[in-house]
Amino acid sequence: MEAHFTGIEKIVLALGISITLGSFAYEVWRRLRIVFKGHQYLPVDRFGTRIWRVIREVFLHEKVIKGRFWPGLMHALVFWGFVVFGLVTLDHFAIGFGRPLMSHSVHKLYSYIVIPFSILVLVGILALAYRRFVSRPKALGKISPTSGLVALFIAILMITYLLGETGLSPMAWRINWWIHSLVILVFMFLVPRSKHLHLVLAPLNIFFRPFQQPDHTTVNIDLEGSEDELDSMLADLTRLTKNQVLDVFSCVECGRCIDVCPANRGGGILDPKNHFILDLRQPLLDSGDVDVLGGINVEAGWECTTCQACTEVCPVGNHVEKSDEIRRLEVLVEGKVPQEYQKLFMNLQESGNTEGHTDSPLADRLPTYTPDKEYVLWLGCFARYELDPNFTKSVENFTKILEVANVSYGVLENEHCSGDPANRLGDKLTYTMLREHNMKQLAQARKVVTLCPHCALNLEKEYGKYTEINYSVMHHTQVIEQLMNEGRIEVEKGTDGKVTFHDPCNLSRMLDEVDAPRTAIRASAEEFFELEELGRNTLCCGAGGGLWWKKETQGRTHLVRAEQVVASQADTLITGCNFCFGMMNQGLKPLTPEGRSEIQVKDVADLVAENLVETTTA
Amino acid sequence: MKIAVLVKQVPGAESPLPIHSNQKWVDEDAVAYVMNESDNYALEEALQIKEANSEGEVVVISLGPDRIQKVIREALAKGADRAIHIQIDTVGAIDPLATASHFADALKEENFDLIFSGLQSDDFGMAQTGVIIGEMLGMATASLVMAIETGGGKIKVKRELEAGWFQWVSLSLPASLTIQSGLNTPRYPSLKGIMGAKKKEIKVVTPNPVEANQSLEKIYVPHSDKQTVMIEGSVDQMVEKLIHTFRNDIKVL
Ligand code: SF4
Ligand code: SF4
Repeated sequence: MEAHFTGIEKIVLALGISITLGSFAYEVWRRLRIVFKGHQYLPVDRFGTRIWRVIREVFLHEKVIKGRFWPGLMHALVFWGFVVFGLVTLDHFAIGFGRPLMSHSVHKLYSYIVIPFSILVLVGILALAYRRFVSRPKALGKISPTSGLVALFIAILMITYLLGETGLSPMAWRINWWIHSLVILVFMFLVPRSKHLHLVLAPLNIFFRPFQQPDHTTVNIDLEGSEDELDSMLADLTRLTKNQVLDVFSCVECGRCIDVCPANRGGGILDPKNHFILDLRQPLLDSGDVDVLGGINVEAGWECTTCQACTEVCPVGNHVEKSDEIRRLEVLVEGKVPQEYQKLFMNLQESGNTEGHTDSPLADRLPTYTPDKEYVLWLGCFARYELDPNFTKSVENFTKILEVANVSYGVLENEHCSGDPANRLGDKLTYTMLREHNMKQLAQARKVVTLCPHCALNLEKEYGKYTEINYSVMHHTQVIEQLMNEGRIEVEKGTDGKVTFHDPCNLSRMLDEVDAPRTAIRASAEEFFELEELGRNTLCCGAGGGLWWKKETQGRTHLVRAEQVVASQADTLITGCNFCFGMMNQGLKPLTPEGRSEIQVKDVADLVAENLVETTTA
Repeated sequence: MKIAVLVKQVPGAESPLPIHSNQKWVDEDAVAYVMNESDNYALEEALQIKEANSEGEVVVISLGPDRIQKVIREALAKGADRAIHIQIDTVGAIDPLATASHFADALKEENFDLIFSGLQSDDFGMAQTGVIIGEMLGMATASLVMAIETGGGKIKVKRELEAGWFQWVSLSLPASLTIQSGLNTPRYPSLKGIMGAKKKEIKVVTPNPVEANQSLEKIYVPHSDKQTVMIEGSVDQMVEKLIHTFRNDIKVL
């Protein structure tokens, strides 16, 4: 292996490396320059957690494998191979200049590690190529010639490496060495020009990914401000943040976000990979600037349930969903709003609730909050105005639990909608009005509990983006779990039949709570089993993002989950969200096959109240 | 083209309507008001005509107490250029002739090419104001308008007839049209529109008194009664009595 390269060869090699590295650097810099034009900063808070996330998601390939086991594992083989090959490649070029990095014996020793890896990489890349070019799952989209080329290159690299270790004749070795080198150089040339740039950007993107989900910028509306201020605020609405630009360039086009999207699965046109990510890539490169949000497909934007499944599953750390961005443009700048939502916004402005009602019999029956009480029981419009009349019973079951545990609570006399539908549908002005009203009502509150995860998210995290919050918000399942742990309520397994749980998106992904409801259910039901898509990877019921108020459309977003529940053969379905409760109640009945008894839909509070041992405290 | 759009503030469909203790009208303080539905479509149609011709003026005009400035602002936010507010206490004002003459007085000086009003108000539903104004100002008039084509100093309108029939009519200008809901897709006020509306002119006028020929006597919620009548006798007698009751007492036969 002590090859002696001629001077000409060394010059050619040096030229080749400079050109490739130069072009590589130029292409990366061109994109990073656009990233830095985005507004806001790339976050670096909780540094250690971010590093740990990079270790898990990049080096251990956690999400890649979890999302799609076999292809994910094959990809991990290729990735680990690359890591191992880093040193080999440096040494390879160093040899070309006659200055090997490793001594002969070290080289030999290291090859015992590299050879098995190169075989694993070969297996991995061939399996991935088979999937991409022969079995061709829909989510991958059109056949990409670059991908074929890259697969071929990686295979050649492995083969030439292996050949190089077999003791070829000096001439053959030299030709083999050059093939290996050229392939690396062309590969390096291709990487930044294709989705293979994720090799460089994905680790950065995973590091910088925001912790909050969803993470949309705030819209601060000052109706007393000057026209110039308004204009600049509105102009900002079309601009991406640095994180968002990095997302667009990091996307590896795997289509996992499409696979999990409830709107897409329900037959809608929404395709998050293209509509929210790739459609923005060329405009960014063409304009060299970041005011491209106006280019998002509007119709697709209205279909999104804002469930965050796409963001959760993305292996390169993208915050995929951008319905908030396109809707706020439609509402605040264009004034183009579907009629049903105009009615909703008018109701919210006129009456402070989604339905335009004035009285709530449920609120009248419950005690009023005074500062001596422990909890504000936040009802939310769904419960207050009986969007599903059965849900009032769930609220009362929860108050029964509180009473048994001797917990004092009361409802606010002047509770308005938390603003979730206005916020998610882009009407940030109405949202501002509601938020400011509610902040006044909550001035004396210290602890808030609600059965609605949408309200919980808004009252704490979303309001918290605008103002300081002096109260804490809990979901009722969290309070129930706490009361159980403290021994203030006792629950026994009394519910028969097969019981399953549907994780609400807002509870699991956005509030990061998947355990509390399960603790309560396990304590109450004999036979608990999980649905196929669960926890943070749950499938949206179809009502999120204000879609509860959407007119009936051809899409059947709202039926996909219900069908899964019917197929699961459950007798009882537990939910932890009023919207899921309502959607499932509507969806399950027509889907239940004849002869089978209807699946019972219950809230966690219903189940616990049924199985409460009422002798403990009180 | 210079277009006037009449907008009315009416109680929203979900609003409570408690009757005032004097039984002359509802208790307005408890009512949630909104823009009359068909007026919203009339406004949109006017704005679209103005935008299509890229010139002209859309003036909203409304009649009532101070509270109606809310719908005036809404119309200005959506894009109307200026507004006229005929300030008058409308409690129990249900005479369309009087209403129309107030509007006609306020409109006649301005020489509008078109006057749009909603087909009817969602509270009284008389469907007369726009038609009477047309008559008072000597304008061509069409009601129940479903579509409008402008051009060449004339307009063509599609009118909705009964039983799914339609009619196209040509009218000379000026004309007064009453607009049917659903002919377009009304917009939502943009943030710029809302901010801009604050600077737009609202001219407040006090009308000359007009004698009303109609007034409300008393309003009340109709009360329903439950009564049980036992019918006895032989089958024939029962049938006969039953038919008698249906025919003469309940009047369903
Ligand atoms: S956004 Fe993420 S999940 Fe979607 S295609 Fe791109 S890399 Fe895959
Ligand atoms: S948030 Fe949910 S509905 Fe919206 S694009 Fe992502 S997966 Fe689809």
